[in-house]
Amino acid sequence: MVLRMAWRNIWRNKMRSLVIMFSIATGLLAGIAVLSLYDAMMNSRVRTVIDSEVAHIQLHHTNFKKDYDPKYVIANGDDVLQAIKKMPQVKAATARSITTGMLATATGSAGVTINGIIPEEEYKVSQLKQKLTAGKLFDENKKSQVMIGKKLAVKMKLKPGSKLVLTFTDTSGAIVSAAFRVAAIYESANAPLDERNVYVRMNELNELLLSNASFHEIAVLLSKDETLKTVQQNMQQLFPSVLVESWKDISPETDLMVDTVDQYSYIIMIIIMLALAFGIINTMLMAILERTREIGMMMALGTNRSKLFILVLCETLLLTLAGTPIGVLMGWLLTAYFHTKGLDLSGWGKEMMSNFGFGTMIYPEFPAERLPAVLLIVTATALVSCLFPAVKALKLQPVEALRR
Amino acid sequence: MNNTVIDVHNISRVYNPDTIPVYAVNNVHLHLQRGEFTALVGPSGSGKTTLLNMIGGLDKPDAGTIIINGMNITELSPRELVDFRLHNIGFVFQSYNLIPVLTAKENVEFIMLLQGKSKQERDQRVQQLFKEIGMEDKLNVRPAQLSSGQQQRVAVARALASKPQFILADEPTANLDSKSAANLLDIMALLNADENITFLFSTHDQRVINRARRVITLVDGKIASDTAAVDISQPHKFETV
Repeated sequence: MVLRMAWRNIWRNKMRSLVIMFSIATGLLAGIAVLSLYDAMMNSRVRTVIDSEVAHIQLHHTNFKKDYDPKYVIANGDDVLQAIKKMPQVKAATARSITTGMLATATGSAGVTINGIIPEEEYKVSQLKQKLTAGKLFDENKKSQVMIGKKLAVKMKLKPGSKLVLTFTDTSGAIVSAAFRVAAIYESANAPLDERNVYVRMNELNELLLSNASFHEIAVLLSKDETLKTVQQNMQQLFPSVLVESWKDISPETDLMVDTVDQYSYIIMIIIMLALAFGIINTMLMAILERTREIGMMMALGTNRSKLFILVLCETLLLTLAGTPIGVLMGWLLTAYFHTKGLDLSGWGKEMMSNFGFGTMIYPEFPAERLPAVLLIVTATALVSCLFPAVKALKLQPVEALRR
Repeated sequence: MNNTVIDVHNISRVYNPDTIPVYAVNNVHLHLQRGEFTALVGPSGSGKTTLLNMIGGLDKPDAGTIIINGMNITELSPRELVDFRLHNIGFVFQSYNLIPVLTAKENVEFIMLLQGKSKQERDQRVQQLFKEIGMEDKLNVRPAQLSSGQQQRVAVARALASKPQFILADEPTANLDSKSAANLLDIMALLNADENITFLFSTHDQRVINRARRVITLVDGKIASDTAAVDISQPHKFETV
């Protein structure tokens, strides 16, 4: 009976109830939009890290990353690489020779990380092929080709066909310089990385480094993100002398950013709900004040305070829960649309986003796994919002209420 | 066996005791026997409603005691009073005060639900009461669709639903036309006669006064006159309106 009364009571003033339900739905839509937008941005960032920067897992000599000394190659690198490629969870893996050095042109110079790659394997792991904006892929018939990032190209005024000189130290500590010609210019979602990384063929770099056929890094792309921890542990057991790191270890700032933004999105959600709570309080307070005499009569007849409290609670909850499916549906429709069409954030400043390593085209997804938490926040909002009107109702004295 | 249902001992209710004291009820002493059909009359401001509210446990006297069926209700806590009202007193208000979102049946059932009565018990009682008030065809109608007279009949049924010791009716016919008022009084008189239910009305309405078996007149919070207790064992002839 209390539930029935509560449901009918909220329809006594249809317009007011509809307005508050629409407010709840809109608040929920805003919350879902914020969550999915942040999720999408973070997913985009994580995908960028995995698919084009770091891959899921990287293996190095334990001392290599201390100061990128090229003498620290992965022992028995080929065997390790072949073993990794045979692992069922591994989608693709590639070897890289890496050194740091100086890129110089007639107009200036810049510090760079020189990545020696096996082109066909690299294209599968880091999507380098898809990132090209100018020039052509490495030509088998041409030697000493280099791919550079767009930001570096702009800074050094380079274009496909331009000449440059890379200077670095070899494994014996001697300084080596070699001339390369720009084969292509690439652009990723991370401008700072584009400015720092150049790609040459691994065999050419190895010749210059005097490191023979060995290499410094193995980048591994997995078929499923969820297997990351298991695969990392397996690899570490299989190759105990090698440093096995996941993208979370290599790019802890990204992991931290995901966690932080996750918390921020909930804070924003709570702020939205807090604003909404005042609307609910106002509506329920109006509903209570309008029914002062009726409540007084109910108390006079023998309705105790706990039942009255439950009535107000039910009314608030029903009002809130009635708006919830509408909000969830609107949120689902909105995210479904942008998930298909994509949301172009370049208006926010493509360069700025690129500088922070974010792609400008994101595909928001309905945050289904976060829906229980969202619904919990909404329900908690309703519960907290009803306290003030409920207390107001409970404080009524029947004899005074009946006089009104 | 003690037949006293309402035993009021020298009760007073004072408003503004610290500034200009106004005695709404001043040292009233009153006894009502089971089965009485009593009208509490007097001009506006004479203290009728205040006295009724105190007897009904809605208000507390500043002095004196009220004993209902042997229980001193002036000593009960607000929580105990709620429970006491639920099980012992039926209220009929001037402006019906039905719950608008409930149907006539649900309004009557509401009290029994609060009492924790079973569905079967509720259904039986509702059928019986609606038969008594002659509204068996209006069970599922909301108050807004009922006439004033019909609403007040439902209010009487609601007051009776809990099988109270007595019914307090505050100006029950004030908003009713002659026909509806007569009809309502017929029903209440019948219930009084058949089920021996005690009625205490506050009223200005001569139609009610004419049909009361005892008339207590309040003036300035004091009992000015009381037609005194009649022998309720004797059948009462009601005057026609």
